[in-house]
Amino acid sequence: MASSVLTDSRWIARGEERTSLPRFLLWLSPWALLLALGVYAAGLCLYYGLNQTNMDNRFAFGLWIFLDLGVIALGAGAFFTGFLVYILKRAELKPILNTAVVVGFICYSGAVAILMIDVGQPLRAWFTFWHPNTHSMLTEVTFCISCYLLVLSLEYIPILFRNRQLRKIPSFFIFEHQLHKLVPVLAAVGTLLSFFHQGSLGGLYGVLRGRPFAFRTGFLIWPSTFFLFILSAIASGPSFLMLVTATVEKVTGRRLVPQEVFGRLAFISGLLLAIYVAAKSVDTLVWLNVTSPSAGFAPWQYYSHKPFGTPILFAEIVVFGLLPASLLLFRKTAEHRGLLLTAAAMACCGILLNRFVLTVQTLALPTLPFDEFLSYVPSWQEVASFGGVIAYGVIVYSLSYRYLPLFGSKGETTHVSGN
Amino acid sequence: MFPGIDGFHWTFGHILFLSLFLVVAATIFATVISAVWRTARDFRTRQAIDFCWKANFSELPISERRCRHELAGRVISRTCDNAFDCRHCAKYSQFAVLPATGHASSLGLDYPNDRFYHRGHTWVRPEEDGNVTVGLDDLAEHLVGNPDSIQLPGVGDQIDISQTAWRMKKNGREIAVRAPIEGEIVELGGPTKGWFLKVRPRLDTTNPLTFRHLLTGPEVHGWISREMERLQLQLRTPNTPPALADGGTLVPELMNAVPEADWDTVLAETFLEA
Repeated sequence: MASSVLTDSRWIARGEERTSLPRFLLWLSPWALLLALGVYAAGLCLYYGLNQTNMDNRFAFGLWIFLDLGVIALGAGAFFTGFLVYILKRAELKPILNTAVVVGFICYSGAVAILMIDVGQPLRAWFTFWHPNTHSMLTEVTFCISCYLLVLSLEYIPILFRNRQLRKIPSFFIFEHQLHKLVPVLAAVGTLLSFFHQGSLGGLYGVLRGRPFAFRTGFLIWPSTFFLFILSAIASGPSFLMLVTATVEKVTGRRLVPQEVFGRLAFISGLLLAIYVAAKSVDTLVWLNVTSPSAGFAPWQYYSHKPFGTPILFAEIVVFGLLPASLLLFRKTAEHRGLLLTAAAMACCGILLNRFVLTVQTLALPTLPFDEFLSYVPSWQEVASFGGVIAYGVIVYSLSYRYLPLFGSKGETTHVSGN
Repeated sequence: MFPGIDGFHWTFGHILFLSLFLVVAATIFATVISAVWRTARDFRTRQAIDFCWKANFSELPISERRCRHELAGRVISRTCDNAFDCRHCAKYSQFAVLPATGHASSLGLDYPNDRFYHRGHTWVRPEEDGNVTVGLDDLAEHLVGNPDSIQLPGVGDQIDISQTAWRMKKNGREIAVRAPIEGEIVELGGPTKGWFLKVRPRLDTTNPLTFRHLLTGPEVHGWISREMERLQLQLRTPNTPPALADGGTLVPELMNAVPEADWDTVLAETFLEA
């Protein structure tokens, strides 16, 4: 009877092989510890305030905002895959759809959680909706992210209700079926919301006139960073999905999606990344030669402060931009799993580097003549909260993979015709 | 920002932004409400019951969805696409007239000819009073033996074809037994009586169409021999190559006799759970 106590096989989809429950719990335990530490650190920040962090009035954006921008960009695979499958009818990407939703849900819920700590005063969270700063792009970001997290939660429900035990409850089963039929509507709404908030997050930096390193001109009310953020997010999202799926395949030792799906994602990611790199290059040249000089700043002075020298610019555009874009577009790369994943990882690193530069380098550089170069090292509470969000993501994904149909023919919902 | 807040003044930007936001929020809200309403409608019109079984059926392994005519040897290979409801199968009559070539061996199990069999291992026996008796077939009885507990429906309750008729528990595992016929429960039995339910069928039992979805004659032997093959493969010692035993009979209380087997899978496939 002891073996039956330590088994959860009746919760696992029939025909699916999963590791034993003790091994699974062993895998989860370090992540659970990290999550517990993160929750403790977050509790300290919420209870004592932001003096627990190394941020201040000058350095108001740090590790947390970098994390937010990073995971929101990488989570773009969710809306973009939904857009491709449901709006553009690219059915070949269906095998990756469920995992895209879960990854997106984790990324956005993690981002919202960390924002709650950063903003503080969670009991006054509703203020942002009732007393918003109508002159801030963050208002639009707040509204869109809140709505999109709701959309992702609704997209997650059908997957959740397909759990082997939950699907035995008829009302859950029928609701899942009916909601699944309406998912294209949610996919369209998600696409609209994502385009706007991805763009507004970029626009947030582009409108900072007081920060010439970040300030950009653009089109009508939108600075160029608005469009660059959208492009970079939809370029890196598919790459991140490839990375997650390949990692799960490596850990589980199973082939989860056909190689053609990887090839298709690689092409999409590579093409968009190439367009992004081209746009980013033009934008950088315009900024270096027109925007910055007109504001009275010699462009190369931005790169005189170590460690933020020109190698970072080179790395962002060439090493983690042009190079992975070329690799992803090259047909031979798609056939070589190692090369493909290296390129995907480089693309994701490039986007993270871009978010880091805009968040940390922007604030570190002096703007006024009496300003000094600022350095910022996050406190352990910031790092622990950061780690907690990563642990949360790993735990949620691990549980989803174990108990929900994320991949394959059984994974993709088989809906019968009628009603 | 909103009216009632000090210093608030409407601008075109406010109206545009709020309108867009409200449209998005209303769309999300309407989507959820629509899904809830459709779910309630499906339950109200009993479509939900039919849908649950059809969805479950579509996810069964192909080996469990073989057509009755294949089991009887009338056709070489055919997968059922009617959720085992031959009453709505356009091809039924076309194949039913063909001669059955399947062999009939006893396999050591008792499958009397006076009853009809459902793929979920239940049987139906028409009675003289117009009611039918429903019980668990011999293979299922060998598997489960004496259940630890049984949860029967109440007298007067309605059951529907391929929906859960009653539940049993054995060694901590719950088994949902599918109903072989639709109708109203008129009497309750149990393992000691050799049957579980007496049912007043919704349809006329003198009409052959009422039992058409159930297996009979050579189909039963073809079906049971495949079920036995499946069981032998599933109950073999772990990490041993598949081998089919020739001869021999099932021992009673198999769940107790082979406790190390993957009973979740065995029970799911036996009682048609996806």
